[in-house]
Amino acid sequence: MRQFLEFFLFELKVRFKSISTYVYFAIWFVFSFLCVASESFGPVGSGNGKVLLNGPFANSYNAIGASFFGIIVIAAIFGTSILRDFQRDTTQILFTKPISKFAYLGGRWLGSFVVTVIVFFGLVPGEMLGTLAPWADHTRIAHAPLVWYFQPFFSIVVVQIFFLGSLFFLVGALSRRIFIVYLQGAAVFALYLFYAGVFLSTRSLSRFWPSIFDPVGLLYIDGITRYWTVVEKNTLLLSWSHQAAQGLFLYNRLVWCGFGVLTLAALWMFFPMSLEALTARSSSRRARLAAEQDDEIRSVPTFVTTRAPLVHPIFGAGTTWAQYRSMTRLRMRNIVRDLPFWVLIILMALLSCSNGRYAGRIEGQNVWPVTYLMLQAVEGIAILFFYIIATFYAAELIWRERDTHFEGIHDALPAGETTDWMSKLTALCFVEFAVLAVAGLCGILMQAVQGYYHFELLQYFKELYVVTLPQVLIFALLAMFVQTVVSNKFLGHGIVIGVFVMQPILFNFGWENTLYLFGQTPPYTYSDMNGYGHFVLPLFWSITYWLAIAAFLGVLSIGLARRGAEDSLGARMRGLRQNFSRIAPALAVCLLAAIGSGIWYYYNTHVLNEYLTAKDRRDIQAAYERDFKKYEHFAQPKITAADARIDIYPDRRSFSGTGHFVLQNKTPQPISAIHVTNAQQGFTHVVFDRPFHVVSSSPRAIYTIYALDKPLAPGETMNMNFNVGYTSRGFKDGNERAELAYNGTFFDSGYFPTIGYDQSLELGDPRRRREEHLGPQELLPPRGDAVGSVTNLFTPTADWIHYTTTVSTSTDQMALAPGYLQKDWIANGRHYYTYDMGDVKILDFFAYISGNYQVTRDTYQGVNGPIAIEVYHLPEHSFDVPDMIAASKAGLAFYEKAYSPYQFRQYRIIEFPRYRTFAQSFPNTVPFSEAIGFIDRTEKPTDIDFTYFVTAHELGHQWWAHQLIGGRVAGSNMMSETLAEYSALMTQQHRYGASNMHRFLRFELDRYLRGRGAEVRREEPLAQVQNEPYVWYQKGGQVMYTLADYIGEDKVNLALHNFLMQYRYANADDAQSGPYPDTRELVAALRAQTPADLQYYIDDSFENIVLYDNKAVSATITPTADHKYKVTLVVEAHKVKADGSGNETPMPMHDLIDIGVLTGPQDAQKPLYLQKEWIHDGRQTFTMIVDQMPNRAGIDPYNKLIDRNEDDNQIAVAKE
Amino acid sequence: MALTISGLSKTYANGVQALRNVSLTIGNNMFGLLGPNGAGKSTLMRTVATLQDPDSGSVSLDGLDVLAKKTEVRRILGYLPQEFGVYPRISVSDMLSHLAVMKGITNSGERKEVVDALLHQTNLWEVRKKSLATYSGGMKQRFGIAQALLGKPKLIIVDEPTAGLDPAERNRFLNLLSSIAGNVTVILSTHIVEDVRELCQRMAIIANGAVLIESSPSEALEGIRGKMWSKVVSGDEELKALEAGMQVVSTHLVGGQHEVRVYADTSPGDGFRASESELEDVYFLSLARHANA
Repeated sequence: MRQFLEFFLFELKVRFKSISTYVYFAIWFVFSFLCVASESFGPVGSGNGKVLLNGPFANSYNAIGASFFGIIVIAAIFGTSILRDFQRDTTQILFTKPISKFAYLGGRWLGSFVVTVIVFFGLVPGEMLGTLAPWADHTRIAHAPLVWYFQPFFSIVVVQIFFLGSLFFLVGALSRRIFIVYLQGAAVFALYLFYAGVFLSTRSLSRFWPSIFDPVGLLYIDGITRYWTVVEKNTLLLSWSHQAAQGLFLYNRLVWCGFGVLTLAALWMFFPMSLEALTARSSSRRARLAAEQDDEIRSVPTFVTTRAPLVHPIFGAGTTWAQYRSMTRLRMRNIVRDLPFWVLIILMALLSCSNGRYAGRIEGQNVWPVTYLMLQAVEGIAILFFYIIATFYAAELIWRERDTHFEGIHDALPAGETTDWMSKLTALCFVEFAVLAVAGLCGILMQAVQGYYHFELLQYFKELYVVTLPQVLIFALLAMFVQTVVSNKFLGHGIVIGVFVMQPILFNFGWENTLYLFGQTPPYTYSDMNGYGHFVLPLFWSITYWLAIAAFLGVLSIGLARRGAEDSLGARMRGLRQNFSRIAPALAVCLLAAIGSGIWYYYNTHVLNEYLTAKDRRDIQAAYERDFKKYEHFAQPKITAADARIDIYPDRRSFSGTGHFVLQNKTPQPISAIHVTNAQQGFTHVVFDRPFHVVSSSPRAIYTIYALDKPLAPGETMNMNFNVGYTSRGFKDGNERAELAYNGTFFDSGYFPTIGYDQSLELGDPRRRREEHLGPQELLPPRGDAVGSVTNLFTPTADWIHYTTTVSTSTDQMALAPGYLQKDWIANGRHYYTYDMGDVKILDFFAYISGNYQVTRDTYQGVNGPIAIEVYHLPEHSFDVPDMIAASKAGLAFYEKAYSPYQFRQYRIIEFPRYRTFAQSFPNTVPFSEAIGFIDRTEKPTDIDFTYFVTAHELGHQWWAHQLIGGRVAGSNMMSETLAEYSALMTQQHRYGASNMHRFLRFELDRYLRGRGAEVRREEPLAQVQNEPYVWYQKGGQVMYTLADYIGEDKVNLALHNFLMQYRYANADDAQSGPYPDTRELVAALRAQTPADLQYYIDDSFENIVLYDNKAVSATITPTADHKYKVTLVVEAHKVKADGSGNETPMPMHDLIDIGVLTGPQDAQKPLYLQKEWIHDGRQTFTMIVDQMPNRAGIDPYNKLIDRNEDDNQIAVAKE
Repeated sequence: MALTISGLSKTYANGVQALRNVSLTIGNNMFGLLGPNGAGKSTLMRTVATLQDPDSGSVSLDGLDVLAKKTEVRRILGYLPQEFGVYPRISVSDMLSHLAVMKGITNSGERKEVVDALLHQTNLWEVRKKSLATYSGGMKQRFGIAQALLGKPKLIIVDEPTAGLDPAERNRFLNLLSSIAGNVTVILSTHIVEDVRELCQRMAIIANGAVLIESSPSEALEGIRGKMWSKVVSGDEELKALEAGMQVVSTHLVGGQHEVRVYADTSPGDGFRASESELEDVYFLSLARHANA
């Protein structure tokens, strides 16, 4: 025991003498301090604005984050502890003494364990002190009980230290190889990244087993808390109970504690306590060496001195070149003959391939792995390795001579410092070049594996070698400089990693300027439509700027290079001063290049364009709301007609033109002032066709008030004319306008004047509102509100308008706008098109599009005549065009039959670049991002045809928005989105069948439950929805789908038909705005078709937030005499009502729910029995007879109802 | 060739005065630099090998300013540092070939010839494809001398080359050094007197950063001829008594008993017998005198 204590105390002493121990502690302290003290740091802080920063969820999440990055720290402490004796060759002394195995291993292990726990304990005071930071957001800091800090620390961090530390200790003890010890932490880190990535990046729904075996926690915390509401996140810890979340956390911890015990047992069994066994390997090497030497001595007993041949050393440019080549070759060999290099390469290739295998796939959607997606997937993970290799090998190269003690010979060689340094840089470049090639090859391989053979090698080359390599090089040069300046390699690593890590953190804190974030380039997006497009210039100049600065540091590194015995920085600085004249010209060139490119970048981003940080932009929004919200309810005229002449200049990313509105006073009072919002700075020169003057205008002309000398009388109309346009100048520091592109311009009426106050410009995020001292955002008024009811939800400035336009573009592109093409002509080297909507009135919602398209056309015979279906797409993106046309036809057939005739004679889908990822339904015109359609791939029956769904959804909006629109009151949003969603779900079901829908709906349910978990304000019931997309899309779709399942699709369609016919085109022809429909009318229409005993479902689904907790408890079968199977199923059901924050109250239950018995594999289950039964709260037993042998049975097995534990609804049947 | 060192002084940042006004003239021969550990030998060697600058003083090689014209000096320099390591996983022939390029032997035929010859000379031919890092101390040291002889060095500096070598290794090494042709200045620093006695025509003893003696080994021996006396003492008591009374130069163990060597103009007393003077006596005597001074 005394021995044990000695080893233990010795371990502590060594650790507490080491500076690294304090650094680790400080890292965790600062990490958790910032997690609490800053909303810009960490995923919890920057995420949901209502989750407490020091709440139980936040502390657990931070503990897991620290555990994840802490893998390397744990490896560093445990691994080196056992290795110390072998490294310093004290084994001889140690193991010849009578020490016990228990004392030696136990003392070392416990010492390491205690030190590691203490080091990680920095997290707890960090979190606690973070709450005291005066600048922190104290609305998100609670007076936390101690258990919130300690339970996560002990159950997450300490447990992980125990089992991972034991593992690293074991591996170190058995391998006794330094590089294994150094590498194992990084290897476990990378393997875990790989493991978690498989489940997280694809948003897989299977969580149970992956969570059980998750050593770190990113999976199990997602599995357990993904549906937690804010209330739960702020009150619940990850529970040790076996009942909470299927006992995931408990079982996970038990599994890994068991693993830790096993590793300790293995250590006890396999660690030999004898010197002979421990040094077996090295002694055999020694023996071999001795034998060799013996041979040698025997073979040459005497020493005969021979004359050396005459040589003629020459020195000159040729020799310098030869020296450079020889050193470069040697340095490259040093790297590639090193095992860790290959470990890094193989890890990178594995991770790249596994990421590439799922390139672009998300939520069960299958896509073609086009090159940009593949590069994104492969490079996304490999980039980490590019930087690791740059950091690591820059240091190795700079320190190689010192580390190997070769400097005495090397430094006295007749080669210049420049030659030496250049050979290091070249070796590093070569290595990076090769590593990038491996990443690229992984991408190509994974494309081939997935049967995609359109290899765009040029794009690979551009992305890897033109865009990425210089950025890696900039970083490598920094690392070489830092390693030259510092006195210790690991300090250098720390600084370099610090610079790397600080970039995104500083960015989050509002330091966004590319010119002062080291190595930063503005964000860019590759688009198949547009290549690197307008990002080329800012990328080129920012890379040039940073490369010049990095080269400057490189030249300085040459001047400061270590040579000879006196290598203190001071001595080298003196040397630099003496030899300054030698490097001065190169320094000057780099400096000039940096200043030149910096000035040019600055001129473009700050002078030609206004430079605004994210905070500046929020300030503008806040000022707008503060200054002009008071005018929101000022009576304003409404737009009744719009026409415009627009000239698009795609090659300049600009457009200009003139617009004309007809305004009508649809209020009972005269209007004497016109208020105009100019959010995009898109128009100038507003004139009215009656005398007027400007009363006031605000900075950036964002809000201007015009006074009419003669007020606009009720019912009277007047004309408003203006110039509209936007001219792109130079380039910006990020935040480029995505609407303007060389190919694929797409902008909408947002560039046109908005009459009155524009509520959509307000800041929505409560966190940001607090920051701006704005108070809670005003909600949509309740249904029946006097003003809201008579205001159009989508276009408050208009009811319905007549629309016509002429648009021109360059002759190599075509220009589109909603409406029917009247004529097109070429004049002045430009192509003009005139579109007119005819008599059909539309919402004040139109767009202009210009691009170089291939057009695929088809026709559908509608009830009122032929309907032209057109898809405007990139020639290479023809994968999904037939699918889009099929969806359009299927949708038209369904909607015309179920709802009403289509109001237009055309339906156009137009591709636009992936800078924005949505599809949007304008009247008979649907711009569709290349990122969400066009590359979909539906092959297997389990693949979800997302393109089909989106196409049908957008077509649905031609009814649900473009025929029927609600008032600007609570709930109205669902009447367009939920009903479009329902329309698409049904179209999809008609095409792919119910079992494919089951898969799709599980993802929809997942998104709804995750959405409510991330709610920053409060969740509203469906019929009262405010601004909760997860309610109006996912919940709404599911509720309507299930309603159709319960009362019949025909009934639902009939209800919608009746509702549509009664309320569509509200206010289209009135001289005074009357009420728009709202969800009260919709719900009434649905109720009218719903039987009395199912009215509860309408209450639950539309008027409340209701969650089921249905569960199959057991299922057993017994064969019957007539060769059938009797299934006895025990189910348990509960139902709760939740409020907007997630507080739940149990509800009594008498609900109709599916009881099913199923057969077949998970993805393609077939029901043998499926009946709706009345279910009460608690347990219930059902028996049924089925013909075939079933494998599963359950309650609500297809997840038609909203249930947070949707995967326990089924259970495998057991034989009795 | 002649190397003139004059007035070199060097004080390190930690206050250690490594060189105190050192002046030496070294001609075309093997020059031995003898001194205890920490005497400043390595500092002096590194200074001549262009790896370090003195605080004051000058070094010139046939009129070439060694301190200012480092590149020119490096072109004619062969240097074997006291301690050195090697790159891992590089064979000795690859490494020598690389160093030959670095020393300006760019003609590949010539380079191969000289590398092969050196491998034979240093008896590394059989193991030329083995990684240097797996070499034993002696083999590594031979690589060290091979690389120092590469090219056409006119100034060869070897710092403590025999430390850690076994007797056979040491002999081979000294043979090799002595075979170096004339017209080359060789400086050998060592704390082993034997090395100097066997190899060097000229020598200097240096301690505490200062030159104590500069002469040829035979001249130095001449100075103490007939003044060394030895006696076998019975125990520590007697040794103590002797040390107090006379100038004891050294003691050796002979068959488990102390043999004391004493410096005296005449026989110091009973039991002492006249002894042949040795270079080692010169060394210890000058160190002792320096310490007392």
